[in-house]
Amino acid sequence: MSRPALALCFALAAGPGPAQDVVTAITGARIVTVSGPVIEKGTVVIAGGKIAALGADVAAPAGATVIDGTGRTVYPGLIDGLTTLGLTEIGSVAGSVDVAETGDVNPHAQAWVAVNPHSDLLPVARANGITAALAAPTGGLISGQSALIRMAGSTPDALTVKTPVGMHVVYPTGRPPFDIARLFEEPELKTFEERQKDKKKNVEKELRRLANLLEEAKAYGEALRAGRAKPDLPLESLAPAARGGVPLIVRADAEDEIRGAVAFAAERALKLVVAGGLEAWRCADVLKQHDVPALLNVDRLPRRESDRYDAAYANAAKLHAAGVRFAIVSDDASQSRNLPYEAAMARAYGLSADAALRAITLSPAEIFGVADRMGSLAVGKDANLFVATGDIMDHRVSVTHVFIDGVAQSLETRHTRLYEEFKDRR
Amino acid sequence: MSARILSGLALAALAAAAAQAADKPVAIVGGTILTVGPQGTIDKGTVLIREGKIAAVGLDVAVPSGATVIDAAGRFVMPGIIDAHSHTAIEEGVNECSDVITAEVRVSDVIDHHDVNIYRELAGGVTTVNVLHGSCNAIGGQNAVLKLRWGKPPEELAFKAAPRGIKFALGENPKRANFRVPGVQRYPSTRMGVEAVIRGAFEEARAYKKEWADYESKAAAADKPLAPRRNLRLEELRDVLDGKVLVHAHCYRADEILMLIRLAEEFGFKIRTFQHVLEGYKVASEIARHGAGASTFSDWWAYKLEAFDAIPYNAAIMAAHGVSVSLNSDSDELARRLYWEAAKAVKYGGVSEAEALKMVTLNPAWQLGIDKWVGSIETGKDADIAIFSAHPFSPDARVEATLVDGVVYFDRAKDAGSAR
Repeated sequence: MSRPALALCFALAAGPGPAQDVVTAITGARIVTVSGPVIEKGTVVIAGGKIAALGADVAAPAGATVIDGTGRTVYPGLIDGLTTLGLTEIGSVAGSVDVAETGDVNPHAQAWVAVNPHSDLLPVARANGITAALAAPTGGLISGQSALIRMAGSTPDALTVKTPVGMHVVYPTGRPPFDIARLFEEPELKTFEERQKDKKKNVEKELRRLANLLEEAKAYGEALRAGRAKPDLPLESLAPAARGGVPLIVRADAEDEIRGAVAFAAERALKLVVAGGLEAWRCADVLKQHDVPALLNVDRLPRRESDRYDAAYANAAKLHAAGVRFAIVSDDASQSRNLPYEAAMARAYGLSADAALRAITLSPAEIFGVADRMGSLAVGKDANLFVATGDIMDHRVSVTHVFIDGVAQSLETRHTRLYEEFKDRR
Repeated sequence: MSARILSGLALAALAAAAAQAADKPVAIVGGTILTVGPQGTIDKGTVLIREGKIAAVGLDVAVPSGATVIDAAGRFVMPGIIDAHSHTAIEEGVNECSDVITAEVRVSDVIDHHDVNIYRELAGGVTTVNVLHGSCNAIGGQNAVLKLRWGKPPEELAFKAAPRGIKFALGENPKRANFRVPGVQRYPSTRMGVEAVIRGAFEEARAYKKEWADYESKAAAADKPLAPRRNLRLEELRDVLDGKVLVHAHCYRADEILMLIRLAEEFGFKIRTFQHVLEGYKVASEIARHGAGASTFSDWWAYKLEAFDAIPYNAAIMAAHGVSVSLNSDSDELARRLYWEAAKAVKYGGVSEAEALKMVTLNPAWQLGIDKWVGSIETGKDADIAIFSAHPFSPDARVEATLVDGVVYFDRAKDAGSAR
């Protein structure tokens, strides 16, 4: 393992510092701004960590480091709106995984606290243009608080762009949690109808529990402000979401789950984001009506055997047509680098190329409330951008430069190092 | 189970298949043909199909009157994709986990031809899959190579000409490193144990072979001895020793790849493919020298310790060392976009587009011993063909139709859509 080399690579890339003073100009490139029209041939100037200028007739300032962008395309940094990046290293090694806390009510679990800036997974995502990601806890009923992290920096503080972004909730399935110790127990014999009744009862019970927790948290927040509350970290942590300040990001795939989540949130004036959203296309009406955005993972099998084979691929296009806001996400960590290819699949199945790109840049920035800083190329925004040899949704295309807050990032990864070490071994 | 609710999807496909008389010629005209064979790429060419076989390919192929014409203008026509590592259609029969060596069990006995993933994979351009056991035990059992003739019973899904094959597994899975159930223990628990059980099995197989050879040499004599007791497990392993069975070995780490090469060469048999083989790039020369193929993921990594040195350049490095490389899915979901998995080989390590296409067609065909019949669009081969809306590597690529033996089993235009 080459930890020292990696640490060095991060030190070079570390956030706000002297490197930000460098003025960089990418010249003669195709500039895909996302928020405005495409500039077929133009220059982007980066100074002070921000985009200082961009346009067809912008000149590189004297003394600027110039990158010849001829034949290349400049994109805003991709934002992966649902990951466990920084929270997991090797899936099967418990010691390297910090995604799900014990118990099922963990509003006080904060992802940013446990994000490992030295994870080998971060540079791998970054090398394919991902410059920010939502690091989110999973599991239980209330999983915890997510943070938007940038793919550069050597401490959790330096990585964190915004926290909390959302309070993560898993919509109750009504099934008992998986218990490996009970794997070989004989299941109780029940009819389909009995099982459905049980499921409904369990879901209602869990939703009541969630509702009560939110009520308590709201009351606790008021008591806290009045100086009349004893310490209670879970309730204190849940209070902002209970007040509707921080969105609940609810994992829900099935139609009844999504509709249930929308009704639950609407009744309590909570801010809601749906995560997963496999059957969101079946609920476009209520998502539109309540302006609930969805975080969609595209590369999935349909939920029902009777669904059209492309139900998950065509999901985004259907939501787009219905005017529902959404981001396309990897919902993974090691596969985060494939985010543009999830967008490509949505594109192949009906979403326009522009909308597909927006779903991995500006849309997640808007959903997470950071669109004033990132998600598109515009003067004054953080200089989070990358240069590619062509269409980033094309699997054959490579990323040649990545900038985060105006700082050029190393594209070296665990993978490139092993490649160099072994490619010529005979 | 699913047959009833599937009716919408299934009927559309079946109707299309049934409507097509087997002996009526089919011509795919006007498309860009990526033959993956000696004819390379043919612009605005024609593929003529007779009785399920490719009768002619080229620019000046006459379309006989009465032929069913498939207009592929503006489209890309490529050989049906071959997935060399699949568990489709065997959900309830992936592993006989109760013993370490189960060479006698057969995937072909548990094919669920109603598995809707057969249809879904056709919709991703896949026409042939290598259905393997899981990796629970060191020798899992006999695989089945299937053609995705959706709607046909299990016997008619079988790729009849495909040679026999068997699944081996090394590393974390057979030693149950990540799947320990409280109160359940099974040997082996180390890579040492995995080697030992395979070695032990082949020593027994060698003895079994000798026992039968001795018996058969005396069979003609008047004092014919009593026949040895038949043992299905050892009989299969004896056939591995005799080179009658292709060995597909699940593996991750470089050391275990070398271990199996050493063991196989000692016992005098070949490994046909290393499966997953995520550290294959570290020992690519040794794999090439042994003559094995490698069937890997394009870029999966970090899901377990033995996958932490996996790199997306694996396919490119192994190919550059002369190994026949295929990209597989091991997943009903990933199987539907193998054409894009191949495109990644262009990005990571600079494999040419032509070679990358082979990684999901001709190379897996060789690895399964079926390249005489499938894997490229060539005269005389089976008419297993996928028709794309754009170049299969492009981000707008979508499969429009898939043919097996010249029969349209998937047609996007005729797909019935979701039940509601």
